[in-house]
Amino acid sequence: MREITYAEAVREGLSQRMREDSDVFVLGEDIGVYGGAFGVTRGMIEEFGPERIRNTPISEAAITGAAVGAALTGMKPVLELQFSDFITIAMDQLVNQAAKVRYMYGGKGHVPMVVRTPSGSGTGAAAQHSQSLEAWVAHIPGLKVVQPSTAYDAKGLLKAAMEDPNPVIFYEHKVLYKSKSDVPEEEYTIPLGKADVKKEGTDVTIIATAIMVHKALEAAEELEKRGISVEVVDPRTLVPLDEETIIASVSKTGRVIIVHEAVKRGGFGGEIAGVIAESEAFDYLDAPIRRLGALPIPVPYNPVLEKAMIPQVEDIIKAVEETMRGA
Amino acid sequence: MTDWAGRQSDEVVKDWLRQMHLIRFFDEKVDEFFAKGMIHGTTHLCVGQEASAVGACAPLKDDDMITSTHRGHGHCIAKGAEPDRMMAELFGRVTGYCKGKGGSMHIADVDKGNLGANGIVGGGIPLAVGAALTSQMKKQGKVAVCFFGDGATNEGSFHESLNLASIWKLPVVFVCENNQYGMSGPVKDMVNIEDIADRGASYGIPGRVVDGNNLLEMADVMEEAVMQARSGSGPVLIEAKTYRWKGHSKSDAKKYRTREEEKDWRTNKDPIKRFEEWLLEEGRITKEEAETIRQSALDEINRAVEFAENSEEPSMDTILEDVYA
Amino acid sequence: MAKEIFMPKLSSTMETGTLLQWFKEEGDQVDVGDPVFEIMTDKINIEVEAYEEGILLKRYYGVDEEVPVNGIVGYIGKEGEEVPDQPGETPEDPAVEKAEEKEAVIENTSSSETEVSSDKKVRATPAARKKAGETGVPLHTLQGSGPNGRIHKKDVEVSGQQQERVTPLAEKVAADKGVDLAGVQGSGPNGKIYRRDVELPAEEQVPAAETISTAYEGTRRFIGDRMQQSSSEIPHVTLNTEIDASVLKKMRAELLPVIEKKTGKRLSYNDILVKALGEVLISHPQVNATFENNSITRHQESHIGIAVAADFGLMVPVLRDVEKKSLSLIVQESKELAVKAREGRTRPDDMKQGTFTISNLGMYAVDHFNPIINQPQAAILGVGRLHDKVIAVNGTAEVRPVLSLSLSFDHRIIDGAPAAAFLTELKEKLESPYQLLI
Repeated sequence: MREITYAEAVREGLSQRMREDSDVFVLGEDIGVYGGAFGVTRGMIEEFGPERIRNTPISEAAITGAAVGAALTGMKPVLELQFSDFITIAMDQLVNQAAKVRYMYGGKGHVPMVVRTPSGSGTGAAAQHSQSLEAWVAHIPGLKVVQPSTAYDAKGLLKAAMEDPNPVIFYEHKVLYKSKSDVPEEEYTIPLGKADVKKEGTDVTIIATAIMVHKALEAAEELEKRGISVEVVDPRTLVPLDEETIIASVSKTGRVIIVHEAVKRGGFGGEIAGVIAESEAFDYLDAPIRRLGALPIPVPYNPVLEKAMIPQVEDIIKAVEETMRGA
Repeated sequence: MTDWAGRQSDEVVKDWLRQMHLIRFFDEKVDEFFAKGMIHGTTHLCVGQEASAVGACAPLKDDDMITSTHRGHGHCIAKGAEPDRMMAELFGRVTGYCKGKGGSMHIADVDKGNLGANGIVGGGIPLAVGAALTSQMKKQGKVAVCFFGDGATNEGSFHESLNLASIWKLPVVFVCENNQYGMSGPVKDMVNIEDIADRGASYGIPGRVVDGNNLLEMADVMEEAVMQARSGSGPVLIEAKTYRWKGHSKSDAKKYRTREEEKDWRTNKDPIKRFEEWLLEEGRITKEEAETIRQSALDEINRAVEFAENSEEPSMDTILEDVYA
Repeated sequence: MAKEIFMPKLSSTMETGTLLQWFKEEGDQVDVGDPVFEIMTDKINIEVEAYEEGILLKRYYGVDEEVPVNGIVGYIGKEGEEVPDQPGETPEDPAVEKAEEKEAVIENTSSSETEVSSDKKVRATPAARKKAGETGVPLHTLQGSGPNGRIHKKDVEVSGQQQERVTPLAEKVAADKGVDLAGVQGSGPNGKIYRRDVELPAEEQVPAAETISTAYEGTRRFIGDRMQQSSSEIPHVTLNTEIDASVLKKMRAELLPVIEKKTGKRLSYNDILVKALGEVLISHPQVNATFENNSITRHQESHIGIAVAADFGLMVPVLRDVEKKSLSLIVQESKELAVKAREGRTRPDDMKQGTFTISNLGMYAVDHFNPIINQPQAAILGVGRLHDKVIAVNGTAEVRPVLSLSLSFDHRIIDGAPAAAFLTELKEKLESPYQLLI
């Protein structure tokens, strides 16, 4: 197997699907010859032409709504929202239209669309281009939410998302675009709703999403040296959530730390904590459930502050050690 | 004027009359039921706007598509929906178009090309653009007709959608039913131009103003626009000047307008009366036939009520169904 | 020295006992454990046994007479020893100020014993609770290793292991021989099972002495936790002194009938100590202090907590404004507080705002002890027994009644010298107690 980057994996996944399924097309701002703000669609317009690599005006509401309408009528649009922060402008079309149509119409129609959108901080893009707003959409019944953490997962999950008959919000982490992993050349599917145990352990479970998976793994390595065996679980998809894997892991270790880059307050970690507390894993908890998330502030521009806003490896190590002490 | 409408067969023009009656009786019945508390929630009636709905759909083929608005019962009927299943939906019954889960504002009949009414002002406009995009990409030759009100033209989605449809030359006809009020807001206070149709110029879209209470005129202009859209020349914006006889929704004291204004529209510009008069003048129909059509429409609506009342409530088992496909 | 025989208090509601019969005549030899007389209470008939050996010197009451609880029924002593003609004088009044070294302040005290509860909820993780449920270990008996004493699973597991400790060798032998360890009584500490226990034929196994475990909970735990907190938070220093109680003893004997006539209550040494404290505290505001929320409050009034042993636990009702009260008023009020405390009628307000506490173990063979401070107060006085001792008086050895006093103080807020000055002044007052009457 060869190693490719996360961005290449997304591009490859898209391209392979588009070759197989003529209903799949990509629309978004600057995705044509420019190749997308993060270069994910680079070279695709040359292969697929401007019909299927459809460069749009800067009109998030209209292009999102057009994707919904196209999906409702037989296409499989993949919308690239340039920055996930811009989802705020597309929110009506996602929340009130895409998510609702099927139920509202009594089971008629379906909306097989994917919204690919880069999220996260770490690029110095500051408050309006660095957020992690996945909890917003995860709250909406009718939307599925995916957060791949590796190139391998990105390609497999993207195929599942494109084949899903429902609107899927596919969060790509900007900082991970350049990260590499072994990715098979052929198409493969990672089903939505299947968590991945990125590392097995016995003393404590870290449930981490997106870039935090890597920080958690780094922390786990250091903690192993200190005699603490850490299990790292990556849910990969928030909706549907693989509750079974999470509950099994926490039941095994009896201790859990949930880490995400999004602001802790109202973040998805609270949902995961709730799922654990309501489950049979409750009986096995031997320390309070601990959440790590970003501070409740807009993402600062200054790189030191930007880093300080979100959980870092040292924070995870500290949280694990405190949890092991029962704190 | 192409006089496309006037050239249609007796059968067709009589059916337009029937549809307009159906729409009026349907909404008057709904008005009565809301007043009596027999159906809950809210509703928006299009009494007085029958000609724009029927005229707009007149040149459409069965597989052409529409997106509708919160004031959408007329569009639904004009696009071929069955009044009984519509009424059942308003009663929240399982036999309704949305199995009782949608209600007045969300009636959709995807099989008949009705992509749904919409509770969000301007929310359906991008959807019509997307539907037109599908038609273009799949070379289906279908046209999407996008209904919205005067109020929606102040939403960003309207402007973004017009631009998008224009640059991609999508087969979509934007139909603005200017019924003079966005809820309570008079259009003259909310839009600083005489004709909303002029807004199309900003996006390179031809704009046409039409008397929305004149079925023939409405149908003629639409026929032209649909032809243009279908031919690949891009979208058209049509502004149908009309008037809603009733209030915005079920509880509206209508303090923002005068009773005299309402009376003027009712007595002098009633779209049904005008069309009926034309049919009689042209000898396309007798007085007896006109009465028979009226009566049969009323009977159909009464049967629809009976059907709705006799339908089952949805089972609790279905509450979680259809969130995802 | 002749010893009193008291009417025992057998229930919280018992106020008097009725004598049903004497088993001994005056002049009879009595051994420890001999039934001396039989009484009837509001609930039961019971034989009262002797705690002393000697001659029954005196019987004050006859059959069918009612005797107040803790009243002196008679004396046991050596042949020829003199005892009072009337059941009056007693060196202590153990019923009233039967105090212990630590006091409980019970918040929701009411008229019913069952409502007297200060049960703290056990802090334990879900996993610990589940484990405890599976193994039957009562969580409230465990000391948690987590923050704020939270019990974790391992605490339960360790406890479980302690309960069934067995050496690895014994375990192996048991497995080899097919012996069920559950039926083996260990001979080691805490019943630890050794190889010999497994190898011993079952019939030769020593049956275990029956032990009774009670939960560390309710009032006991409340008292204990407060004790623990005070003991660990406060740097305690205890100063001991002995006073020559000759004059004190004489004064009490003189005043007792006077006060009894006036109030119907008997004057105890404790009452005089309270009186003395009331005055001395006012002149030592450093000692008459409380320490809360990082703030030291020095009080202008003497509100003295008096430890009382009730059946259901210890109570510390507070006698207010002692410095303003006469000795007879102190006798009156402290007896009322004590009765209420013993009957469980103490109201929470009765126990608030104490500035100092007195704890009296004088009815026992205790010379002195280090009392633990009743937080948030700054100091506590422990009182030992009054007994005859040989002491040097003006260069000669004399037998004098001596009372020992122990003052524990919080060294965070009181230094040694002022505490010593306080105790010294108290000693002076008690050795010349008549000045208290001025």
